[in-house]
Amino acid sequence: MTTTSQTLTPPGTEKKAGPWAALLLAGAFEVGYALSVNGSQGFTNPAWSIVAIVFFLFTLFFLSVALKRIDVGIGYAVWAGLGAIGAALLGPVFFDETLTPLKGFWLAVIVTGVVWLKLADSPKLERARATN
Amino acid sequence: MSWLYLGIAVIFEIAVGIAAGKAQGFTKLWWTIGTLVSGAIATFFLSLALLTFDVGVGYALWTSLAGVGIVMIGALFLSQRLTWKKLLGIAIVIAGVVGLNLAGTV
Repeated sequence: MTTTSQTLTPPGTEKKAGPWAALLLAGAFEVGYALSVNGSQGFTNPAWSIVAIVFFLFTLFFLSVALKRIDVGIGYAVWAGLGAIGAALLGPVFFDETLTPLKGFWLAVIVTGVVWLKLADSPKLERARATN
Repeated sequence: MSWLYLGIAVIFEIAVGIAAGKAQGFTKLWWTIGTLVSGAIATFFLSLALLTFDVGVGYALWTSLAGVGIVMIGALFLSQRLTWKKLLGIAIVIAGVVGLNLAGTV
């Protein structure tokens, strides 16, 4: 039935909504990847290790799907930002870790830097700037 | 030792970033294999680094330093322009990494 609803989607909508959904999924799997790599304890815990490998493949797959339509710089910026913020926020939830305001501040600086860096690498934004 | 593991993980994540770009949506077989193999090695060393680092800190350091490395390699060897915007991004990442260390929260 999903194929039917797919064909009913107005042209243009599936062009944008699909890739962004894929990108958000890639970001979510990247968070899961970071957490399960941590939980694998240097790949000595088999269950977490398998989950980490599965998440790694999922995040790559959905990222590659998203980047077919979304500009590479913007896509990587959103993906890297989601991964880093998710890992910082959920680390203390799943593991014996703390997120102090000071640590949170410097992590926010790093995330800002990496998101900025990916956006600066965006061919689309470069072109938009050049035409202005 | 944890910084050594993190450094190795960063180097292989830089390789992932470059190979994934060349793999063109994973249609090029050898670049795709390169991406997966580099990713596996990067992941393994990240897991060793995370034995010491908190996952939030270790992951942020890993992904941001790899991002800096990808831009630097691109500028040095792949004839991409190193714009002032990219330099500013690198500076912000380095400021964050240094700040995190000085704050003693790593």
